[in-house]
Amino acid sequence: MSARAPPKCPPPGDHALLPRVKEALGPSLLSRGVTPEGHLCVVVPPDKIREVAQAVKNMGFDHVLSLSAVDYIAEKKFLLVYVFASYLSPELKNQLLHVRAEIPRDSPRIASIADIYPSADYEERECHEMFGIWFEGNPHMGKRFLLDPDCCIDEKTGKPLYPLRKDFKVPDWGLMG
Amino acid sequence: MSQALREFLMKKARLEKVFKWGVRWSLWPVHLVTSCCGVEVAHTSAPGFDAERWGVLPFHTMRQSNVIIVEGTITRKMARVLRQVYEQMPEPKYVLAMGACAVRGGLFWNSYHVVQVDTVVPVDVYISGCPPTPEAVIRAFIMLHNKIKGKPGPYVEPVKVDLAPYLPPPPKPPAKPAPQPQQQQQQQAQAAA
Ligand code: SF4
Repeated sequence: MSARAPPKCPPPGDHALLPRVKEALGPSLLSRGVTPEGHLCVVVPPDKIREVAQAVKNMGFDHVLSLSAVDYIAEKKFLLVYVFASYLSPELKNQLLHVRAEIPRDSPRIASIADIYPSADYEERECHEMFGIWFEGNPHMGKRFLLDPDCCIDEKTGKPLYPLRKDFKVPDWGLMG
Repeated sequence: MSQALREFLMKKARLEKVFKWGVRWSLWPVHLVTSCCGVEVAHTSAPGFDAERWGVLPFHTMRQSNVIIVEGTITRKMARVLRQVYEQMPEPKYVLAMGACAVRGGLFWNSYHVVQVDTVVPVDVYISGCPPTPEAVIRAFIMLHNKIKGKPGPYVEPVKVDLAPYLPPPPKPPAKPAPQPQQQQQQQAQAAA
């Protein structure tokens, strides 16, 4: 088991958005950084994700650009990365806000933000299907969304397998298929 | 057409040749564009390459066409569609697997959600490339012509070209310096020791 800690956030730096984000998030802001592309990145506790999403929405970010997860199998963690962006607000229109939260790998549950941001709905469904993360409050959890109904099912137990987890075994086609 | 009438026409009245000639020059493909290879098929039918010279007329319903070009990656969900499209086409029907993805998975080889086309439908001609050029698609159609005629196999034989007159001469290996007398003596002394 490696002792390498997951990279929580890129190295800190100055950012024009930082005072506003600090004010909006308050104590839920655990740490922060600036990505190489110059976007602000903040780490928040996973149980505060709904408050954070509401605060970010009040700031003017009006959609979720992407929601993905990183499987840190050695540390038994999933790192969720929410990327917020804005179409309407002129001063935010070339800004992205990365919000990260870590959840344990053996009980991956987090509150859904699909009712605050409708654009997060499909992202959550896909993330659930690929990583097995349960977004509490999203009515589509436990259903297939993009995958074929017959694929990625454990033959012995009949339970779904999650293909983007690091411990998923892809079928071996052999050298010549 | 009843089977007896069909057999009479094909065997006794020797219509088989006419029938094959008709099939050969009316290969109407249905596009199953699942990814980027579809762009090259658009070129194939556009005025530049004009595959209609060989009777290849892109058609819009599978009920009236007799070739599928599988253009691109076939996922497990799309495999159901491919099989349905194949079953809906009237006989005689042919399948071209176009591109590395359709042949053996290509970029997505060994993936959790990609299937090989020949496990879903019987493939007549494979077209290699990523993406194959329009010439390769036309060549596949001419291979299909030959297959219908009863002479399957590649249409184009590779031509060997001797490039030696056009290339610079290969570099000569560097000449070894003649061993110095001193070194020779040392080597002899070492050998004696
Ligand atoms: S073979 Fe290449 S061009 Fe064709 S679908 Fe696959 S990736 Fe795209």
